[in-house]
Amino acid sequence: MAENTIEIDNAVKRYAEHVAVRDLSLRVPKGSVYGLLGPNGAGKTTTIRMILNIIAPDSGSIRILGRPANDPKITGHIGYLPEERGLYRKMQVRRVLRFLAELKGMNAHDADKKIDEWLVRLDLKTPEKDWGLSKIDELSRGMQQKVQFIGTMLHDPDLVILDEPFSGLDPINAQALKDTIVELKQRGKTVIFSTHLMDNAERICDSVCIIARGEKVLDGSIGEIKGAHGTRNVALGLGGDPSTEVSAVLSDKTLVDRVDDSNRYFEIEMAKGTDPQVLLRRIVATGATVNRFEIVQPSLHQIFLEKVGATGVEMGMTGHG
Amino acid sequence: MAKLWAIIKREYVERVRTKWFLFATIFGPIFFGAMIIIPAVLAKQSKGSAEFTNTRILDATTTGIGDRIAEIMSRERQPGSIPPQVIVVKPSELTQAESTATKQVMAKQLSGYLIADGRTLGGEEARYAGRNATSLGDMERLRAAVKEALLTQRLRSAGIDSSKVRDLTFIPLRLSSERITDKGRGGSGTVSIIFAGGIAFLLYMSIVLYGQNVLRGVLEEKTTRVAEVVVSSVPAETLLAGKILGVGAVGLTQQILWVITTVMMFKAREPILAKFGVSTMPFALPEISIGLALLLLLFFILGFIFYSSLYAAVGASVNTEQEAQQAVQPMLILLVATAIFINPILLNPTSRLAQVMSLLPFSAPIIMPLRLALGSVPWYELAGSLVGVLLACLAATWFAARVYKVGLLMYGKRATLGEMIKWVSYSR
Repeated sequence: MAENTIEIDNAVKRYAEHVAVRDLSLRVPKGSVYGLLGPNGAGKTTTIRMILNIIAPDSGSIRILGRPANDPKITGHIGYLPEERGLYRKMQVRRVLRFLAELKGMNAHDADKKIDEWLVRLDLKTPEKDWGLSKIDELSRGMQQKVQFIGTMLHDPDLVILDEPFSGLDPINAQALKDTIVELKQRGKTVIFSTHLMDNAERICDSVCIIARGEKVLDGSIGEIKGAHGTRNVALGLGGDPSTEVSAVLSDKTLVDRVDDSNRYFEIEMAKGTDPQVLLRRIVATGATVNRFEIVQPSLHQIFLEKVGATGVEMGMTGHG
Repeated sequence: MAKLWAIIKREYVERVRTKWFLFATIFGPIFFGAMIIIPAVLAKQSKGSAEFTNTRILDATTTGIGDRIAEIMSRERQPGSIPPQVIVVKPSELTQAESTATKQVMAKQLSGYLIADGRTLGGEEARYAGRNATSLGDMERLRAAVKEALLTQRLRSAGIDSSKVRDLTFIPLRLSSERITDKGRGGSGTVSIIFAGGIAFLLYMSIVLYGQNVLRGVLEEKTTRVAEVVVSSVPAETLLAGKILGVGAVGLTQQILWVITTVMMFKAREPILAKFGVSTMPFALPEISIGLALLLLLFFILGFIFYSSLYAAVGASVNTEQEAQQAVQPMLILLVATAIFINPILLNPTSRLAQVMSLLPFSAPIIMPLRLALGSVPWYELAGSLVGVLLACLAATWFAARVYKVGLLMYGKRATLGEMIKWVSYSR
């Protein structure tokens, strides 16, 4: 098996009105958790659809598990959870799942066994109630999401693709999803998911690719990306509301390049060639109480804002760029 | 192939399991049966056979014509009905007798009364008043009875033996009609018209109903985003093909069930009609050769694929039911236009109109089977029609597959025809 689960080289996808993806190249290492980050309309969904061979690139090549993306054999190794959950509402849960499994080439007998295991595992089948016998539209939203997830996992795919998996999840289910992703990684599976929530990505991903306006902004492992973005960042925590003197220091452009102000917590990017100790001394000199002063690596969120900026978000695009 | 089968199976099973399918399958034949029985019952009522119960004949002559009329009317009397009563009155008392009878009819003691007088003997006029005076059938039978009585009377006065008069005048003639086609004599004319009309109607209904069904299925998969999940596992063409074949199989199943039950009801119609007091003329179902059956099946399949692939393209290019209803108008116009011509073509299946409509690909799948059921069609017309429909089918599926593939993943506003044509040029 290839070292990289996904290899995209110079992929381009144009539509009549705009270019959805331009000259995109990326590598997803086998057994990694990979985040596809970008604002709405950046080309995440188009990229995922090209990986899934739902659409073909106008030019460039896409190889999945060492084979071309349009090789019909590989769909059986991929599990896909779409952004907006799609199930036949009037169909019985068990029949929907059996249908999805059959589309992946499983036979009905194996599928039934797996369906039972998964229903029990996700509490959809308990001694009191077997939701597998209910129709989809009799299930709550959370249960439908579980069913959709089972549909993604039934055939034990080597590559799991999740499009915005965290949107619309309550904290408990979001935690369960994180656990599942980690568990998949431990079993040697490759997981790729798209999101615009940087906190999630930073915590779960081994590597990320940030795209905006159809172009790759940067990619690599989280460690590399953070390392490349230096140690000019300072985390500052104050004991009390910031005084006008503190505000004046922080808005001194010779010292501070950028401040992410969260009221009493600040993420500060130092101006080039300045010493963070100078900043510390000047803040202490204002008489403010400093609870925390730490030289930190920039958060993914910071890097994203720096790299993409407000201009990277094309307004008025659909969420399917 | 296994995946295509999985899709066909899902489309078929999920539809056949619905209550709607059960309902339509059971009530379809009852509806058709009602179409056979109700006209017969209505015809019976307008014919009013043996409704001449409890009538009165006021005979103002001295010739005994009233008795003869009563005798003739009694000949066809149903068991249990009251024979006509004859009252001989003097012409001067006729007015009085009439008003008495009128009151009795109003009081429902009589159903009506006939007046035979001098003018009747002269063959000019007889008068009838009664509750069933609007029944054309009753009045026709009454007129025939009076005529026959007069004829008997005149023959007798011409000196012909009264026993011979009966033999001479009793002519229970029935006109039976038989159709002649290029192939020779075959079946009764009415039966093949009913049969051909039934086939055309069945094809039309199936295409409209199940074409809409394909559209709704495509739209459901698009709006619920199921399509996205499915096309990540199989090519969009496979999903489209599976849907059309699966829904088509449902339509075919229903038609076969309808035909079987309708034929069974048709065979059992005599006891059913007898319950309504209608006697049936013994006519046989038209014989359908294997060749004709296969041709009908072929036309249904091609017509269904043609229309349902267009329906699928429409379903993929819209986002809501309302948009779909608008976008589907052009196709409905083609279908309804075809249906409007069913009747004229039934009456004149060899006309220029019939020839043209059975060659145009959009109407051929309905009109050609109709003509085939009515009689033989020249082989070159049949071949031309088949080739036309086949080519139209290929074009429609090619167009639909491309529009479907792009439209399925396009959310937002409804696509215009121009945009759909642009989609066709997309590689994938």
